[in-house]
Amino acid sequence: MATITGAISRPTSYAGVWGWMTTVDHKRIAVLYGVTAFIFLLIAGVEAGTLRMQLVQADNDFLGPAQFNQMFTMHATTMIFMVIMPLGVSFFNFVVPLAIGARDVAFPRLNALSYWLFVFGAVLMHVSFLVDQVPDAGWFSYANLTEKPFSMSRGLDYWAIGLLVMGVASVAGALNFVVTIINLRAPGMSLLRMPVFVWMTLITSLLLVLAFPVITVGLIELTMDRNFGTHFFIPTGGGDPVLWQHLFWVFGHPEVYILILPAMGIVSEVLPTFSRKPLFGYPFIVFSGIVIGIMGWAVWAHHMFTVGLGPVANSIFTITTMLIAVPTGVKIFNWILTVWKGSVEFTTAMMFALGFIALFIVGGLSGISHAISPSDFQQQDTYYVVAHLHYVLFGGSIFGIFAGIYYWWPKITGKMLNETLGKVNFWLMFIGMNLTFFPMHYLGLNGMPRRIYTYTAEFGWENLNRLASFGYVVLFAAFLVFLINIWQTRNSRRVGHDPWDAPGLEWSIASPPPAYNFAEIPQVEGLDQYWITKAKAEAAGTPITEPEALVDPKTIHMPSPSYWPIFTAAGVTLIGGGLLSHYAISFLGGAIAMMGVIGWSNEPAAAPSDDH
Amino acid sequence: MGPSPFRRAGSLPMQSTSNSNRPTGRRSSLKNRSVIFGLLAALFLFVIGCSKEGMSTWEAFGPVAQAQLDLFNVTMWMMVVVFFLVEGVLLYAIIRYRRRPGQPKPLQIHGNNTLEIVLTIIPTILVMGLGIWSVFTLFEIDKPPKSGPTPLQVNVTGHQWWFEFEYPDAGNGKKIITANELRIPVDRPITLSLFSDDVIHSFWVPKLAGKLDMIPTHENKMWFQADSDKIDEDLPVTLFAQCAELCGIAHALMRFRVIVMEQADFDSWAAAYGEPPAITDKAKKGKQIFAANCTLCHTIDGPDDPALSASRLQGFLTGADITPVPAPNLTDLRTRATLAAGIINLSETTLREWLHNPEDIKPGNYMSERAVLYQDGDANLSDEEIDALIGYLLDLR
Amino acid sequence: MAHAAEQEYTTTGLSHRKLLMWVFLGSDCLFFAALIATYMVYRGQSLVGPYPIDIISVPVTTISTFVLLMSSFAMVQALAATNADNKRAIVGWLLTTAALGSVFIGFQIFEFNSFKNEGLTLGGNLFGASFFTLTGFHGAHVTLGIIWLLAMSVIGAKGRLGPKTALDVELLGLYWHFVDIVWIVIFTLLYLIGGFDTGPVLPGG
Repeated sequence: MATITGAISRPTSYAGVWGWMTTVDHKRIAVLYGVTAFIFLLIAGVEAGTLRMQLVQADNDFLGPAQFNQMFTMHATTMIFMVIMPLGVSFFNFVVPLAIGARDVAFPRLNALSYWLFVFGAVLMHVSFLVDQVPDAGWFSYANLTEKPFSMSRGLDYWAIGLLVMGVASVAGALNFVVTIINLRAPGMSLLRMPVFVWMTLITSLLLVLAFPVITVGLIELTMDRNFGTHFFIPTGGGDPVLWQHLFWVFGHPEVYILILPAMGIVSEVLPTFSRKPLFGYPFIVFSGIVIGIMGWAVWAHHMFTVGLGPVANSIFTITTMLIAVPTGVKIFNWILTVWKGSVEFTTAMMFALGFIALFIVGGLSGISHAISPSDFQQQDTYYVVAHLHYVLFGGSIFGIFAGIYYWWPKITGKMLNETLGKVNFWLMFIGMNLTFFPMHYLGLNGMPRRIYTYTAEFGWENLNRLASFGYVVLFAAFLVFLINIWQTRNSRRVGHDPWDAPGLEWSIASPPPAYNFAEIPQVEGLDQYWITKAKAEAAGTPITEPEALVDPKTIHMPSPSYWPIFTAAGVTLIGGGLLSHYAISFLGGAIAMMGVIGWSNEPAAAPSDDH
Repeated sequence: MGPSPFRRAGSLPMQSTSNSNRPTGRRSSLKNRSVIFGLLAALFLFVIGCSKEGMSTWEAFGPVAQAQLDLFNVTMWMMVVVFFLVEGVLLYAIIRYRRRPGQPKPLQIHGNNTLEIVLTIIPTILVMGLGIWSVFTLFEIDKPPKSGPTPLQVNVTGHQWWFEFEYPDAGNGKKIITANELRIPVDRPITLSLFSDDVIHSFWVPKLAGKLDMIPTHENKMWFQADSDKIDEDLPVTLFAQCAELCGIAHALMRFRVIVMEQADFDSWAAAYGEPPAITDKAKKGKQIFAANCTLCHTIDGPDDPALSASRLQGFLTGADITPVPAPNLTDLRTRATLAAGIINLSETTLREWLHNPEDIKPGNYMSERAVLYQDGDANLSDEEIDALIGYLLDLR
Repeated sequence: MAHAAEQEYTTTGLSHRKLLMWVFLGSDCLFFAALIATYMVYRGQSLVGPYPIDIISVPVTTISTFVLLMSSFAMVQALAATNADNKRAIVGWLLTTAALGSVFIGFQIFEFNSFKNEGLTLGGNLFGASFFTLTGFHGAHVTLGIIWLLAMSVIGAKGRLGPKTALDVELLGLYWHFVDIVWIVIFTLLYLIGGFDTGPVLPGG
């Protein structure tokens, strides 16, 4: 086998489609992640649109109940696993190596493998649309609705296996970032000199590494129930559907922080830059992040207050959940105090960051009201929860990610997004978001359960649903404006390497950064290193106006592109695809993956160079 | 549109005053302000507009719902105060400290430990206060008070997609099984044991208590009570209720009603529960049609035979095409106000439509799927036969 | 120019790969923890037999456990030989480790087969489902380790293992010892403690 794998010559070109498919450059992988996730964002957005269209009036028949269940299941699954997580990973990829002064991640090929596994897993799950067997049990797919005989189509198999493949991708990616951050920091960058975004990446990655195995076991057990006759979650065989809920939420609650911590990291970078003032209480923001990461493991059953775990268990999880609000509050106070007495510049990135704080406060406060288990008995599974989760995931994660896009766009592309369009984008999104989701608080308290495809007028839910659906239209317009803004950057002018006078190391190099990032690995003397560098230069009378000079890329030995990541990823995905179609395909996939691993291990990370 | 006037390429660090004539600060903050005011106005409307119709949780008819609502109200007002405070400070900060032309670099503050500790302790006290109160409430509403009237026991079973109510002793030892309408006496604790035969459902009567899941192989217990002094209207009062956990295709159509009655009315309802008379010729014919087509799944002459229920469940879980399945007990159907798990009002017309083609009214229901009668879509019955069946079911004379 | 990998700068001084292996093992811990939790939750919950007390044979599995423990000893020797640059001993100890691992897998195949003959299946009861899933995934880990050991033996036979590449053997060792430790936990919980479980304990009885 080694001779076979050795016979394929290594890719050398960086150009064209093959260049992208074999790339191991963290910046290009970041772009791949970003673009892919954005496509899924549009898909999930359209799915949300069908939901809002159906609910726009009482007794509507735009969607039938079957399609409605499929749409909300795929909307949530896509948004969580194929949009917000990969958009976070896209920023990890682009920013982290630059922010810690590294030339790439610790394992560039593993990084490419993560990306390809993610794409293939996501595509595999979406094949369910082609065969019309779409998952339809919600994003937390409570057993035993997911079991036979209640779910006879293969939808849940697509769901479980797609998630398993994407789970491998997430864990592989997260392992890489843990190692990168611990081991590839520039000299002098002690842990407490790391930018907050890097800290949040580290915490998120550790959560991923530890949380995903739990859901992996849950998904394996579900798949075995559905295909191999076990009864893990099937009551008629003695199984307990509540075990699924425990496995799911032991993963699911850390997952919530996996979704929000990257956005918190982004906001912690944007606020100081546009307040021209260092982050207030850096160690408190970092430690509150760590505390959230640890306590996030002790609160999972607050998703299960109505399961009937009894008053003792409910009390314990009420108290732990109340306590986790404190570090979150600490973060908000510190962000506000960062702005306080600063010099606030209203760029689009800053407005998204401020919007993040404003909306996250709402989400946090409604979160406290469901932490209180007695009142959660009324709110659980109503639109009140839908409102809450969209304030933290849309108002929080998506706003944070948009702040990041507007902030780092000039670094990624060397060009500016239009600020006027950016502000239109922000206001449409801010207004649309509140129009869509604020009424849902009220709908929920007024008794509207989640996941119902129809309702009658006598409940009095119609007007607010109409308002929420109108808000969707505004949000839709906001995303259109964003797309136009992206499109117009083709012609926009180039900007310098440091358009925002930012503190991070990534701003000290050219935009877009050269393949090797830093010609010379920087020395770090403190937090906000580039501000220190610039201040020193200014004091010395030689202000910095240019990025670090480019060097001949051949003098810096960088990891070479490789076929094996995409090859191995295809093999692993085929193993999963075989479980959905024919086991022979699984064996084929296994053989391909095996060959990929052999080829991979026989290939040095960087091709030997003849130049020196 | 066009290129942004914001920053010039390679603008010098710490020299952003050079491009300070930007139209940022004032205009944006005004916009900011108006939107935030809009948001506050919306919040205000939200708070004062506590609707009390239908499924609203803003109105409590009993002690359990009241305890939950009290806790929520306090929390909500606390949150409203915190919301205005924190958003206010944020808004003040971004307006007050917006960048002005010629402004020097602000003082580079890195933090303040005293402030951090204060800002950690205050929320901790707040949330712990609420947390401890929640714990007390949890234990307080867990079981009905020991003093007071004897509770009425009701066993509730969730089925895809309807509710079965069993009164082991509705009075004088009489056992009653009915469906989709829970009749309860006022001012008396109702203890409920919740079960499920198939998937997870959730039992929720917003005006009486928060929800509790119905999970196969689990027995979940809850209680509630309707207090006459909390109900303004004359009894009997009908309350809306709905399954609150996704349970499949007809989840949205799995509703039920709770009818709060005077104890005396309840007693006479319970006493009258039993086998339907078939007096008219039409009803007698209907009885034959019912016996020939419906009794595999439906019981109409009092409580279901447990052995029969078990065999129906077995048939359901095998998932075969045409098998008996658990189905609502139809005893005393004429006394009910609704049909098909509370989704339509019961009348001759609606019952005719339902019998003609249930799929049109409740997509996904098992009667259409499993009953021989409906294998071609519409009922395999003539109009007269349906008429006779209605006569029997509604006991028309 | 030397490969970047050999001279890589790292902040902590630990090599990337070693750190990766440690974090991966942390992740794998949670994987087994969830499987073990499933088993423990379903202890004594099987509706029908066979129950552990009917079929679990502690003495037989004690032997296979001992064999697996010995393989860890062989693994330690393999690493020591690598550091001592004793080319023949490296291959010898690696193959010994692989052989002992294979004996363990042989025992497992024998055990699975005899359990199957006594009526324990994946679909039969919860004990079967959770037992086979947990020990099956552990067996898969061991099998993967054996393949890795054999691959390293081939590399060692070509004389390419030595103090400079000791990390390659060390990583394999970390993985092997981890799998071994997981087995100790499984053996304790499933055999020593859970091996005498009977059917569902009825309330009051």
